[in-house]
Amino acid sequence: MLIVLGLGILWFSGVCAAILDGRRRWVGFASVAAILAAIAALVALGMNVRDEGPQTMTAGGWPSGVGIGLTADMLGVTFALLSLGVLLAALTFEVFNGVRSQSFPALVLLLGAGLTGVFLTADAFNFYVFFEIAMISSYILTGYGDEGRQLRSATIFVIVNLLGSAFFLMGIAALYHQTGRLDMAGIAARVALLNPTSVILSAVLIFTAFGIKLGIFPFHFWLPAVYTGTRPAVAAILSGAVANIGTYGLLRWGGGMLPDELHTAAPMFFALGVISILYGSLQALSRRSVAEVVAYSSIGQVGFILVALAIGGPAGFAAAVLFAIVNAVNKTLLFLSENLRGWLTGFAFAVGAFSVAGVPPAGGFLGKAGLFQVAAQDDNWIVIALVVVGSVLSFIYMFQIYQRRFWTPEVAESANAVASPVSVRAVVVVLAIITLLIGFWPEPVLWVSEQAGQSFATTRP
Amino acid sequence: MTLIVSLAIGVLFAAGSYLLLQHDFIKVVGGTILIAHSVNLFIMVSGLSRGTEPIYPLGDGARVSDPLVQAMVLTAIVISFGVTALLISLIYRVYVSHRSVDIEHLSDFEERLVQLEEQQVPPEPGIGVLEDREVDEDDESDQPDRDGIQRDERATE
Repeated sequence: MLIVLGLGILWFSGVCAAILDGRRRWVGFASVAAILAAIAALVALGMNVRDEGPQTMTAGGWPSGVGIGLTADMLGVTFALLSLGVLLAALTFEVFNGVRSQSFPALVLLLGAGLTGVFLTADAFNFYVFFEIAMISSYILTGYGDEGRQLRSATIFVIVNLLGSAFFLMGIAALYHQTGRLDMAGIAARVALLNPTSVILSAVLIFTAFGIKLGIFPFHFWLPAVYTGTRPAVAAILSGAVANIGTYGLLRWGGGMLPDELHTAAPMFFALGVISILYGSLQALSRRSVAEVVAYSSIGQVGFILVALAIGGPAGFAAAVLFAIVNAVNKTLLFLSENLRGWLTGFAFAVGAFSVAGVPPAGGFLGKAGLFQVAAQDDNWIVIALVVVGSVLSFIYMFQIYQRRFWTPEVAESANAVASPVSVRAVVVVLAIITLLIGFWPEPVLWVSEQAGQSFATTRP
Repeated sequence: MTLIVSLAIGVLFAAGSYLLLQHDFIKVVGGTILIAHSVNLFIMVSGLSRGTEPIYPLGDGARVSDPLVQAMVLTAIVISFGVTALLISLIYRVYVSHRSVDIEHLSDFEERLVQLEEQQVPPEPGIGVLEDREVDEDDESDQPDRDGIQRDERATE
């Protein structure tokens, strides 16, 4: 029952919020409360998963294998909680800041419902349906803003992602044809019996679709324009919550269902990851505006996730989950604090910037250290060198924008002209404290990512 | 049968990809529609089998055709229909605010906007593209455009 509860709360409140005017403050606060309730339900679910192992539920009381199932394991619950946390921060930020469109809270809630569904479903086709629910909400959110400037990039975002969805759907249909199953466990069991070469095309289609979601190197072109054009809250949602679909999808489909194909594709993932890191970092170095630097840095940071996936195994997957968690928190913090003015916002931004750079007290250090550790165990010198180079580059570009923003006299003066509301700054400061907390007390996050990485260790050969 | 359907899928997807690479957003939408249809056909063909209609009660040992693909295709059609409608409304908004749906025009416009920003001049909405045509209408057309955008947002709910 608990599995449906979080999903149900979000769905129902999303529909209710859609008929209300989201610009009113109480609608916004009610939406925040709904997300909080869903998070509470998911935390309770996570406790059950921790104590009793993965929970499953089949819709409509059908026998399992006939009805559409939902499964909650550590990986799914972790990603659901992470994404809802990002949505909560972004929505609270925007409600305090003043919502500009009446559909914004409803869209965030429906996006949350779609994301929770994606992370908890046990059915391949249902995954696609939830995926589309989340994507449609994010398409509309991309167009949220005052200027017409982000519209072109929003349109490109929709078109590129439509193509990605088409690939993904073809991959599902091909897998259905080959295995005769739609439940993920069934597909995984039957794919293991098939000749790997016969599944490789389906795997390529599916991996490409998730690559587009992540915004890795060859599919990145929509990303900077969208992230810089939209409002900070939407950019935080896109990079902190929606991009999780890509990481989760690659872990679930690659690690859980197509492990042999993921193994075959590992060199390609590694190469794309390296290119993404270098390309993102170098582009970020050459940019001047804060939003652009953060946008390009997300291409680079996603590269680290791909490298962790390419290393593979429970340790590699755990590193990928860890990096995804830390990256989502960093990006939310940076995007939300980039345009704020006033006391303590400099502190929040600095924490985010140093976290991306991987400077120890901040949480980002943990993600890089995890990757470093995995690479050191394998004696994989290329990865170690890459982590070092990537960290140095990210330190340089982050320090550069910090310097430009807070140390340049005229910028600092105009910055103090209008201070942002205290409540908005409080949201950002809380995020910064969470980032520091992850760095100072990493055990819970490490434990969660380790558990999540082992979610399908048994299915690996 | 499989061969014919496969050919149809191939032709649809190829035509769709060609349209997807055009400058004009309207043609691009046509491309996404064609690709969505080729995917729908692909789902159909992934469960193409001969048999009686799958309605309970079944006869003993009767071969039934696969009902699952039809359910999937119906869902996929509904989703692609919804997304296409959304895309068209988004393109309408692009047209309203930029007065063009040609991607070259739009990139020119944005480049100019970036240049303006670098010169520390606050950008005015709709300054780039309109410059070539009717500069006078710029201020008049600004207000109705905003309304158009808001009406559109309500529609997409």
